[in-house]
Amino acid sequence: MEGTSSRWRGVLPAVLLAALFVYAAWPWLPFARAERNPPTIVFYGFSILADAFHDGIFPAFQKVWAAEGGGRVEFASSFGGSGTVTNQIVMGVPAQVALLSLESDADRLADAGVIPRDSWKRLPNAGVLNLTPFVILVRPGNPLGIRGFEDLGKPGVRVVHPDPMTSGGANWAVVAEYGSGFRGSPGGPAAGVAVLAGVWKNVVAQAASARAARTQFENGFGDALVTYEQDALFDKSRGRLRADVAYPPRTILSEHTLIVVDRNIRPRERALVDRFVRFLWSEEAQKVFVRFGFRSVRPELDAANPGFGSIADPFRIADFGGWKRARREIVEGVWKDRVMKATPNR
Amino acid sequence: MSIELENVTKRYAGQATVDGVTLEVQKGELFVLLGASGSGKSTILRLIAGLIAPDDGVIRLEGKDLTPVPAQERGVGFVFQNYSIFRHMTVGENIEFGLRIRGVKRSARAERRDELLDLVGLGGLGGRYENQMSGGQLQRVALARALAYRPNVLLLDEPFGALDVKIRAQLRQSLKDIQRSLGVTTILVTHDQEEAFELGMRIGVMDRGRLLEVGTPSDLYARPRSLYAAQFLGGGTVLVGQCTRDQVRLGTLTLPIPADVPHEEGDRVRVLIRPEQVSLEGAEPAPQAASLGRGEILENNFSGAVRRLRVRVPPLPGVRQLVPAPAFGEEGVTLEASMPAHLAEPPRQPWVVLESWHILRQPTPRLLVCDEGEGIAPALELARPLVASLDAVATVLGVTSDARRIDAMRAALAERAAAAGLETPSVRVRRGDLVTEIVSEQREGPYDFVVIGAGEVESRRGRREPPRFGEILAGRIRTPLLLARGRPRRIERILICTAVGEPGKSDIRAGGWLARRLGAAVTLLHVVRPGQTPLPMVPLHLERGVATLRELGVSGTHCMRAAESPVEGILGLLRETPHDLVVVGASAGGERITRQVLRQAGCSVLVVPHGSW
Amino acid sequence: MTSPSAPSAPRAAVPVGIVLLVLLPLILMPLSAIFIFAFRGGADDFLRVLTSRDAQFALRFSLLIAFATAAINAVFGTYTAYVLSRYRFRGKQPLGIVVNLPVAIPTVVVGTSLLLLWGPIGLLGRLLAPLGIQPMFAPAGVLLAHLFVTFPYMLGAVKPVLDEIEGTYEEAAYTIGASRWQAFRWVILPALKGGLFSGALLTFAHSLGEFGATVLVSGNLRLRTQTAPLYIFAQFEAGNVAAANAVAAVLATLSFVIFFFLLRYTERRGR
Repeated sequence: MEGTSSRWRGVLPAVLLAALFVYAAWPWLPFARAERNPPTIVFYGFSILADAFHDGIFPAFQKVWAAEGGGRVEFASSFGGSGTVTNQIVMGVPAQVALLSLESDADRLADAGVIPRDSWKRLPNAGVLNLTPFVILVRPGNPLGIRGFEDLGKPGVRVVHPDPMTSGGANWAVVAEYGSGFRGSPGGPAAGVAVLAGVWKNVVAQAASARAARTQFENGFGDALVTYEQDALFDKSRGRLRADVAYPPRTILSEHTLIVVDRNIRPRERALVDRFVRFLWSEEAQKVFVRFGFRSVRPELDAANPGFGSIADPFRIADFGGWKRARREIVEGVWKDRVMKATPNR
Repeated sequence: MSIELENVTKRYAGQATVDGVTLEVQKGELFVLLGASGSGKSTILRLIAGLIAPDDGVIRLEGKDLTPVPAQERGVGFVFQNYSIFRHMTVGENIEFGLRIRGVKRSARAERRDELLDLVGLGGLGGRYENQMSGGQLQRVALARALAYRPNVLLLDEPFGALDVKIRAQLRQSLKDIQRSLGVTTILVTHDQEEAFELGMRIGVMDRGRLLEVGTPSDLYARPRSLYAAQFLGGGTVLVGQCTRDQVRLGTLTLPIPADVPHEEGDRVRVLIRPEQVSLEGAEPAPQAASLGRGEILENNFSGAVRRLRVRVPPLPGVRQLVPAPAFGEEGVTLEASMPAHLAEPPRQPWVVLESWHILRQPTPRLLVCDEGEGIAPALELARPLVASLDAVATVLGVTSDARRIDAMRAALAERAAAAGLETPSVRVRRGDLVTEIVSEQREGPYDFVVIGAGEVESRRGRREPPRFGEILAGRIRTPLLLARGRPRRIERILICTAVGEPGKSDIRAGGWLARRLGAAVTLLHVVRPGQTPLPMVPLHLERGVATLRELGVSGTHCMRAAESPVEGILGLLRETPHDLVVVGASAGGERITRQVLRQAGCSVLVVPHGSW
Repeated sequence: MTSPSAPSAPRAAVPVGIVLLVLLPLILMPLSAIFIFAFRGGADDFLRVLTSRDAQFALRFSLLIAFATAAINAVFGTYTAYVLSRYRFRGKQPLGIVVNLPVAIPTVVVGTSLLLLWGPIGLLGRLLAPLGIQPMFAPAGVLLAHLFVTFPYMLGAVKPVLDEIEGTYEEAAYTIGASRWQAFRWVILPALKGGLFSGALLTFAHSLGEFGATVLVSGNLRLRTQTAPLYIFAQFEAGNVAAANAVAAVLATLSFVIFFFLLRYTERRGR
């Protein structure tokens, strides 16, 4: 009969559907649950941190916490552009601990009332967790002969750059480019503006975050990418890097600021979070950072990573009066108001 | 079980789809509701089934008020026009559905299902689906489904509408048999006269929401009371003659009026002649035969068992043809005739003899009173003496362009009608443009006069400016238009102006008819240019007019008046001798004169379209 | 080539070829690229990536949200379609437009609007925050966004079927003795089965692939609110193209299966 055969035909999709549902719901089914949800730390970080934390910090801390008798601990984490993370935290994501690539992003959180002003300054090392200089990634063999930020302004160089509006790394890069000119032999503000304008004249792709910019570069876009040294080293260590690193003689060391969002921490999680924050400045954690290509806040540990290149004139944001001033004078004053306005077709 | 409807009314958007219907269907009866589409017959079925609720009135089943009983509990079997067989169920499941809902056991259900399938002649087809059956089969499934739980009442809405003729006849017979064997009280709705005759123990004829008359098929055919029923069932010819001494005169022929048909001297009486009552003969008939003289065959159509003909006889003085509607300018009378086809064809110019006829009941005069729902109400004021002395029925009509105002307007009109002293008029509210809606209403309804007021607009624009809409209306309607002006308590003097075009016949008859019932005196006026001698036939026309009036029992005088224009003549006379009502004809040439009289006469004006009376 | 073909028997090869030529770079090649890249590291690598906790969570979470979205919208969508199709009321037309609006609104706008309403600083969220209720950046927020975005699909699948069923269909059930619910359950619902099925599948598929609104309202937390598309994006952004492709391949396969059933079903009904 037609009726019965069509009835049987409906069984296969029904079984498939049921199987799919059981699969999806499995971890939540009462008999499948191995143990109750362990306590969780919600961590937000800027993009290049993902691997260092996933594969290094989190497992390390889980061991430490277990060894100290705390039992299991879970991490819920999200990584994106530093600006994006900051915006998300302002909008109310339940981040407990966040690592931002810019101190000015922390200032924005303070402005929004999410964290007390300068609360990160009370953390070890004024909240700075690790560092990494800004370098230039070039195509293998460096066919265009790029040696510094000044060379990125040469005609015909196509530069991939993260977007300073959303990416913390891009802000560092802008100051690095400006500072490279500023501290050059003739030097001074005019030279800084000239280098910056030269680089941005040649930007062919702007990505929302440092990681996204690197993905674009990896996919074959452009001749040069301004990025964190860590980013380049990390890929190199995995044998994934199909590019050379050009160390500019003058570049900035970016400093990454940790913040703790108290309002998202329930009292029973307090001790756990505090222990985690303390752990981050421990020798063990700092060694993990060095292993993943970050320069430690304890320079003596940097020797463990042979990949770190030497920089003749490394400078810090403090050399430009801190992020507040740098942002106002360099990012806003020079990059946004002068450089970007002078390149109208973008 | 018996079904009673008492004064049931259902309105949609202000329109009464069912209008005060009272009806009783006996237990076990097969009653047919017959009417054109939109006449409200299906709405009655839905009201009985409880699918919709009446706005007014009571429906009873075996004496029990059904108002609080929901559709689900009325125990009504309903067969829809489109059958609405549930597509995802087999035919058998469809039939069992009502039993399943009622929690009947599977085995009992199956038994009943098979019984019903056998009853409707679909034994063994219970496993089929809707799309595997023909229209006729589906109709039977719908019937079986409606009968499954032994309903008190069976309602069938055009059950054969979607079927072809052959199957229809077959199913009709089987429905009749089933109904008879089950003895279930049944109401069937149809627009098909043949179906109604064949199935109905009694038939109710519906028109525009009203149940016009109820009777057995033979009664309704032989002795219809209303023109609509006469036309809808059987057709034929309807002539209007004058009533003189208990007889109708059709030319030289006089037909007696039965005592049970109320009539008055001078009344217009409608004579219905069925096609088979017309005999076409080759030889001159005997003197006592009811002969209309020698005619001429216009059409001759063979249609199987009968031959249908149209035959024209010479004009009959004082006779107006109502049905079939005469062509414009047609002077003669055209009769519908039929004869058995096996008889010899009649000669081309046969003698036309009426073998029998039927006199339709005198209709109550109907007034359509248009009111604006606010301000002064001259139309309502005038309607009251008219209703009283004409023994007429008034319908108060309001028109609004705002759908949300319909209910408010209806209430206002009822209140104003009561204030003007009109007792229980029916109130209608239409939505749309004023002129358009009045024109449609008078076209759709059997009205004798349309009454409109001149008052409000006059007060707004000044005394000399009557409303333009009255003038527009006068040119567009086929019903005499009465423009009410001032506050006439009584109408005692009527001025009929034969100055307008040819001395009309309609205007004198309409004016005379009114004068007789109102007890008014009539002046017949003809206007000539100063210094011009009137045409020789003018005095003759006037004399004839006065004679016509005298025949109606109205005292009339005539006068001639010299003036530069007909309008000046009329207005001059009105200044000298005030009248309460001026009657003018509305013929093609006299539009301007009609308009000026409407605008400038200081009293009420009756405009009689040519040939309307 | 040399002999002219009869005009009554047009050669299919050329038009079919043109269609394929258009489809190949537009649809087929990008899709196959996903699979090629997914298996580039070998089946072991593919499985390892796919069985990672994050990927498993993202897939399961996406599926659960899709199931819930389809189930809830099946009820709401059908009810809305029923009301829109069966009742006459003022404002019916504007309502009909409003319920279809989510199709026209960019999903990012949907996400933003939800944040501005339910977020911790949103109009209503601000009132809920002191009570400890925080629908955004939580599974509830994701579900809310998906319900919003996919609402019209259910409606669009069910309403035409409902409109096609004459009103007398239910009336017939009433006169037979069925209550409103019984008429709906036994007469309308079975007739709607096809529409419900395809509507639910469409909703399911759209929910599975939803990105724009989800990325805003979920907070994109791995192991908490990261749906499969968010996982793919995050992995891609982080440069783990293999992981992204593995999950993408699974999502694509699921979509193929769903639409295979959808097409087969509608084809069968169309016959």
